[in-house]
Amino acid sequence: MTDRLRITGGAVYDPANGVDGDVRDVCIENGRIVASLPNDSPRLDAHGMVVMPGGIDIHAHIAGSSVNHARRVLSDERTADPAAAPDLLDAVGRSGTGGTVPSTFTTGYRYAGLGYTTVFDAAVAPVSARDTHAQLDDTPIIDAGFFVLMGNDAYLLQQIAAGERDRARDYAAWLLGATGAYAIKLVNPGGVELWKRNVRAVKSIDDANGLSGATPRAIMETLADAANALGLPHPVHIHCNNLGMPGNVATTLDSMRALSGRRAHFTHLQFHAYAGGADKPWASGAKELIAYVNAHTEVTADVGQVMLGHATTVTADGAVEYLLHASSGRRWVNVDIELETGCGIVPYEYRDAAAVASLQWVVGLELFLLSDDPWRVVLSTDHPNGGVFTSYPELIRLLMDKAYRDERLKGVNQKLLAGTALADGLSREYTLREIAIITRAGPARQLGLTSKGHLAPGADADITVYARDVNVATMFAMPRYVIKSGTLVVEEGQLRRAPATHRLHVRPQYDAAVMRDVSSWFDRYGTIALANYPVAPPRDAPVPVGASA
Amino acid sequence: MSEMPGLVEHVTCLGCGCSCDDIVVAVRDGRIAEARSACPLGSAWFGDGSVPTDIRVRGAAVSIDAALDAAATMLDEARRTLVFLSIDTSCETQRAAVAVADTLRAVVDGVSSSSVASGILAAQRRGRVGATLGEIRNRADCIVFWGTDPAARYPRYASRYAPEPAGLFVPDGRRSRTLVSVDVGDARGPRDADLRLGIPVDRELGAIAALRASLAGRSLGEHPLAGLADLSRTLAAARYVAIIYDAEPGALPPEPGRAESLMALGLELNATTRACVMPLRAGGNRLGAEAVLTWQTGYPMSVDFSRGHPRYRPDEGARALVAAGAVDAVLVVGRPLGLPFAIDAARTVVVGPAATAAACAIAIDTGVAGIHEGGTAFRMDDVPLPLRAPVPGPRVAADVVRDLAQRIAARRARRS
Repeated sequence: MTDRLRITGGAVYDPANGVDGDVRDVCIENGRIVASLPNDSPRLDAHGMVVMPGGIDIHAHIAGSSVNHARRVLSDERTADPAAAPDLLDAVGRSGTGGTVPSTFTTGYRYAGLGYTTVFDAAVAPVSARDTHAQLDDTPIIDAGFFVLMGNDAYLLQQIAAGERDRARDYAAWLLGATGAYAIKLVNPGGVELWKRNVRAVKSIDDANGLSGATPRAIMETLADAANALGLPHPVHIHCNNLGMPGNVATTLDSMRALSGRRAHFTHLQFHAYAGGADKPWASGAKELIAYVNAHTEVTADVGQVMLGHATTVTADGAVEYLLHASSGRRWVNVDIELETGCGIVPYEYRDAAAVASLQWVVGLELFLLSDDPWRVVLSTDHPNGGVFTSYPELIRLLMDKAYRDERLKGVNQKLLAGTALADGLSREYTLREIAIITRAGPARQLGLTSKGHLAPGADADITVYARDVNVATMFAMPRYVIKSGTLVVEEGQLRRAPATHRLHVRPQYDAAVMRDVSSWFDRYGTIALANYPVAPPRDAPVPVGASA
Repeated sequence: MSEMPGLVEHVTCLGCGCSCDDIVVAVRDGRIAEARSACPLGSAWFGDGSVPTDIRVRGAAVSIDAALDAAATMLDEARRTLVFLSIDTSCETQRAAVAVADTLRAVVDGVSSSSVASGILAAQRRGRVGATLGEIRNRADCIVFWGTDPAARYPRYASRYAPEPAGLFVPDGRRSRTLVSVDVGDARGPRDADLRLGIPVDRELGAIAALRASLAGRSLGEHPLAGLADLSRTLAAARYVAIIYDAEPGALPPEPGRAESLMALGLELNATTRACVMPLRAGGNRLGAEAVLTWQTGYPMSVDFSRGHPRYRPDEGARALVAAGAVDAVLVVGRPLGLPFAIDAARTVVVGPAATAAACAIAIDTGVAGIHEGGTAFRMDDVPLPLRAPVPGPRVAADVVRDLAQRIAARRARRS
């Protein structure tokens, strides 16, 4: 593979550097963007095409024990979606299966085929870090990292209840390094531990429910502060309490207010933006929620759009999956995990004939269309929970093409849509610049990835080149070229190479005194020796942490 | 020359699915002198750490290079190959073996299809309620051993996981828990149970159905078994129930519907309290084979690559294919013991511990995962653990299988 390449004549969308469709060359040398190249360097003709940084998925479920439990239970749906091995020039291609939770090799190939070059798994049980790394090692092309689950860790809950916030921070720092993770994830803080105790609802973020002082508020505050004090590149990543419940927008707003002034990321907002409840029907809470987000620059978020069609709900939030199983009658997997977290899985379908699914679809679009700041509200479907990542091009079309969106809106169940902003007519259409922000530059900034999501000299040469099409879904579904770390992985729309990938992880410092306490905890309650708990450090150097991050 | 023993700590034992990782291996003169903390089953699994180190092609000692070339030729030229993931291999070796199967368009299967298929298929139809062993240890206040006394085949289960250890929510250990023993025919649960129930073999599924009815508020039916009403009340009153049964063959009377019925009971218990159902599984990293197959292909067993992509063929696993004469070459990766099919010597390659003990065309001895080579293995609850290598052994299985994969891929590339 050539070390140098000049992409010529394309319209470049590099919003991090203020480039908005300007026709210019992009030069690559040794896997990075450079300012210029000798004239005789190899060229890639991108005249008439669109050039963007490689896509970055800030929140998906692609590896780890829960994802593998989901793959296993979905044996029936994947028979309809076989994936033959690609014919690669630099590696032996591997076959696989797709469906809503594809096998590892197919996951990597399909993301790359969409022009995505970096993906984060959003929920890994600490005890499953070892197989998560192995699964990511078998996920080709894309650089990857994961967020490690801490919001229901029994040791942390005890420290928080006891007011030992410094010790909680040190433990969090140790756990990030021990698991090779990138960020701290909270899922239904406190609520998963309560589900294991057969307490099935968290009434408010100040409801201790027998967790002593470890209220959802205290958990969120402690770990938001820990992430910020450690200078992690990505702040605490929060899946709020009461996911999927009518009226939960109140909980979501309470959670945001609890962390007011603190950097924090609130994930899959769509699932947390419902009004109604009690005796009232479901309704959209999107306007109220996005107004808060627009006004508070410390908040970042991803939307978690629901796409009409098949999905699989897979989450550490075991309690909500039981309710989904009970209400839908569908198959259900629950795995309670080692005093750390949980896992629930229910295969699902968002039907356009269903009132609630239609409302969820509308709520997500409202959040996108009412967001003032694409840098802070980025694209996700919470793959595979709201929809499969291969539906991103369709989602982009819904955002960019009002006529198409209106047409689709007519086809969904209208029962709960009266009075929604979307039904009242939202005329906004995302521009290519805004799409480049919500799929590349924004996630990179939210994640603190300084060498990704943009095309200035020194950046990783992760680049996608799209041929324009009147149907933007077609354009985004089939990039003409994809370049990963300087290697041409998609050529003329065909997957041709699968270069080595990188693991994105952090290894913050901590006061080693915490380990005496942790060691005693493992002795009393663990089933694994503390010495056997940490994973081997990933090959790649950790992403720097500290005050500058 | 005898030296003081060296000690290797925190060694993971794969003698059974408990995967105890607190073994201290004393090594003297490159041999295992003692596996401290190990149960008798574990001690037998470690042995003295000696394994054959040979490489043979049709009985003759050859170089690794010659053996791998011969193996690549044989497998590449076969019309239909079975790649079989046997025991005592690491996940790293299993990953390489599935790659070989993919390249060869072979069938790949492991030991699960001929031992625990009914449980795997039941979970795929119905879902499942599971837990890791740490949850059972720390939370379960009602332990039901269904036709199973773990002392026999999982000797340290009771002391490491349940019912004996004290846990976060069961501070007095055994005394904090209700221990239930369900005897199914002659398959007895633990002797010291707080509640005991005997079920005749032919009434097992009926008893489970009656329990489900009772928990759902219906009656136990006519002529309920003695003790069933007590069990129903005990389950309903518990905070966290763990129903534990030996899923491996040979322990309980054969009953293909057991796994699904117990799972249904566990699922329904969760309507009012919390519960999990835990199949006990044997050692040698069987769960690793299921996990690796699942992440690489989407299916946990019986995968057919003949059409260039994985297809799930749970009815045509290794045993059925070999019996039908449907494969003309077999690659066994792992220990060639307890295979669900007879080895056809002329057409079989074995890469694994004591490969040369098997009558086969090509045999490459490797170390035992967890004794001579490191890597990753899965406990019976799908928790991954690191393996250590307390004593040196012959060539590492993962390296051999990766080399084989490259040679096969190179042959195919030259042809295309």
